[in-house]
Amino acid sequence: MRGHVTALLEAYHDGELHGRRRKDVEAHLAGCESCRAELRSLQAISALLRESPAPRRLTPPDRFAAQVNLRLPAAPEQPAWQRLLHIGWQAAPVALFAAWTFIQAAFLVAGAVFIAAQLGLGGSLAADLLQLSQGGGTGIAASSLSDLWSVVLQTLSGGGPLGWGVTLNLALSALIAVLYASWLASWWVRGKQQRV
Amino acid sequence: MRQIGALPGQANRIKAGVSALKEWEGKPVENSAASEQTERDLIARSQQGDKQAFGELVLRHRQGVINVVYRMCGDANLAEDVAQDAFVRAWQNLRSYRPRSPFRNWVYRIAANAALDVLRAEKETADVDSLPLPATGDGPDALAERNERAEAVRRAVMALPPSSRAALVLREYEGLQYQEIADVLGIPIGTVMSRLSYARGRMAELLAPHLEAP
Repeated sequence: MRGHVTALLEAYHDGELHGRRRKDVEAHLAGCESCRAELRSLQAISALLRESPAPRRLTPPDRFAAQVNLRLPAAPEQPAWQRLLHIGWQAAPVALFAAWTFIQAAFLVAGAVFIAAQLGLGGSLAADLLQLSQGGGTGIAASSLSDLWSVVLQTLSGGGPLGWGVTLNLALSALIAVLYASWLASWWVRGKQQRV
Repeated sequence: MRQIGALPGQANRIKAGVSALKEWEGKPVENSAASEQTERDLIARSQQGDKQAFGELVLRHRQGVINVVYRMCGDANLAEDVAQDAFVRAWQNLRSYRPRSPFRNWVYRIAANAALDVLRAEKETADVDSLPLPATGDGPDALAERNERAEAVRRAVMALPPSSRAALVLREYEGLQYQEIADVLGIPIGTVMSRLSYARGRMAELLAPHLEAP
C-alpha cells in the first residue's frame, strides 16, 4: 500500500476493517513507524478511557428492577395511530368480504329488476323503474335522475354475457381478491417477524 | 505526520474509512442463539404487558444502560435515576419496538436520549478551558495517581459536546460497532466516524499529560 494508512487507522483500531483492507493496513504498519506511533496513540487513549472505573453499584440489581417495576404504568402504551392502524388491519378481511357481498347483491338485484321490468313482471314497481330508466319523469331533476338510474341499471344488469356489467363485476371481484391476498401476505410477514 | 484527531484532513480520513467499511462483507456473527431466543420471548411477553418478563430485561441490560448514562452525565447517582427513567420510557414504547435491531441498541438509544434530555435540562455547558487537568507523576501512591487519572478522564469526557460524547461512550465503554452506534444515535455511519474522530482528537489534547506519562 502506497502512502500512510492514517485514514484507516481508527477503523482498524476499532476492529471495523476486515479482509483485504485489514491485511493491507497490517502490512503497512509492519514497515511504517509513523503509522505505528499513531496507532499506539489511539490505543493509549482507549486504554486510558477504559481505565476509568465504572459507576459504583448504588442499588443492587434486584432492587433496581423492583424500583423500575414500581414506576411502570399498567401496560405498555400504544400510540393512537398504531391502535387505529391495528384495528383497521384486523378489520380489513371483514370489510373486504362485506364489500364483495354488497357488490354481488347490487349486481344481482339490478339484474333481477332489469329482467323483471323487461318481462313485465313485478307489477307497477318494475314498470316504474323501467320507465324511469328509459327517461320517464318531468323536469331537469327527474331527467338527471332517470339518466343516472338508466346508466346504473344497465351497467349493473350486465348487458350480455360479457357486457359491461360482467366485466365490472369481475374487475371489482379481482380487486378485492388482490387486496385480500395482500392482507394475507402482510399477515404472514408480520407473523414471521414476530417469530424472529 | 499530523497529530491524531487533529481536524485538518479529518474528512478524508472519514471518507476513506467509510469506503473501506462499505467494501467489507461477510461480517462475523457472534451470538448465543438460546440467549437471543429467550430475549425474544421476554420481549414478546413484555409487549403483552408482562411486567415480570420486563423485569428480566431490566436485569439483563441494567448495567449497560447505567454505564451509558453515567459516562454521558458523569454522576453515578443521577445515572441510576436516568437509567430507571429510560427503562420506564422503554416500557411505554415497547409496542413500537420491532426486532429488526437488537433490543440492547434500542434501549441504549432511549438511555442516550434520556441522558441528553437531562444534560439539556441542566444546561450543562462545560468549558474545556475551565477544566484544569491535574498534573501527573507526583501522586504519593499508585492509587491516588489512578484516581487522579480517572477524574481527569471523567472531566475530559464531560468536556466533549454531548453528541460526540455519546459516540465515544458507546464505542469505548460499551464496545458497540459503528453500525450499532449509528442505529442507537440515529445518525449515518460517516457521522459516527467523524464524531468519534473528533472526540478522540479532543481526548488526545485534554489528556496529553496522562498519555505521555509512563
